[in-house]
Amino acid sequence: MLGFVEEILLLQLDDSQGKFVNLPMSAADVVLAGAALMELALANRVDSDLEQLILVDPSPTGDDILDDVLKHLAEGGDLTADGVLEQISVNGEKYQEMALQRLIAKGVLREENGRFLWVFRTRRYPVVDDSEQREVRARLRQLLLTDEIPDPRDVVLICLIGACGLLGLVLSPEEIARTTTRVEQLGRLDLIGQAVTKAVAKIRFIVANASSAIY
Amino acid sequence: MEFAQDQVGDVAIVKLAGRLDSSTAQPAEASFTQMLGSGTPRLAVDLSRLEYISSAGLRVLLVVAKKVQQAKGKMVLFGLVPNVREVFSVSGFDKIFAIQSDADAAVASVR
Repeated sequence: MLGFVEEILLLQLDDSQGKFVNLPMSAADVVLAGAALMELALANRVDSDLEQLILVDPSPTGDDILDDVLKHLAEGGDLTADGVLEQISVNGEKYQEMALQRLIAKGVLREENGRFLWVFRTRRYPVVDDSEQREVRARLRQLLLTDEIPDPRDVVLICLIGACGLLGLVLSPEEIARTTTRVEQLGRLDLIGQAVTKAVAKIRFIVANASSAIY
Repeated sequence: MEFAQDQVGDVAIVKLAGRLDSSTAQPAEASFTQMLGSGTPRLAVDLSRLEYISSAGLRVLLVVAKKVQQAKGKMVLFGLVPNVREVFSVSGFDKIFAIQSDADAAVASVR
């Protein structure tokens, strides 16, 4: 089974092109940081309530991304979900690279290097084995279109794909319109997930306003 | 945290007291799982003496609710104290769970 960081990275890959879907860089970093935090929460290493994150067990997990986050949490500082996300998302690019290498090592992706306009180096990550992606998408689709109670892992994935604006991967435009309340309801069930959604929305708002100010 | 069980007819009443958080979530989930066993559960969870619930505690209730749904049973919560109710409200768990104010209404709703 893949971890949330790998899972959400995989879901952000456009199957046909092997490139990441368009998401502001800092938003992608927040999503990966949130995925790592929520993985730690489900492993009972971190807990949270309406006010704070609680570091339950700082001992290493053996997962280099999660251990990096644990190390950061053990240093103390602002232990609200918003504050921690802001701090660890600066490592988002590093976590992305680590997760990509894991997916390549597991045979899920392969790396292709190329040139754009014969000059600029480009990298693509075509999916070699899409069974995990297909299974996750089918499961989330079933959850969103019914009244089924989600399990905690599915709640996290719904939070993450909602924050990334990737609902179109599992639902048609008509289904997205029909399930707005359900998506919003399930996306709220994880308190760290709420903080991720809020942080990504804030970044999107800033980016949108910056763009409109330019034009 | 205390986990106690009572029975009113075919309805099991679980009373949770104290704190349901990362340190008590696993034993609580194990107790629920043992109690659910087989059959079609009818479960009323008394939270009137639950003082604190964290995300880990909410996840336990979610897992239990999913098991009850899969077994085509019914589950209801009752007696939420104000700070626990606030957690349910902010997290949206109050939209997932049936919640009643007292034991009589809870038992009647799952019969």
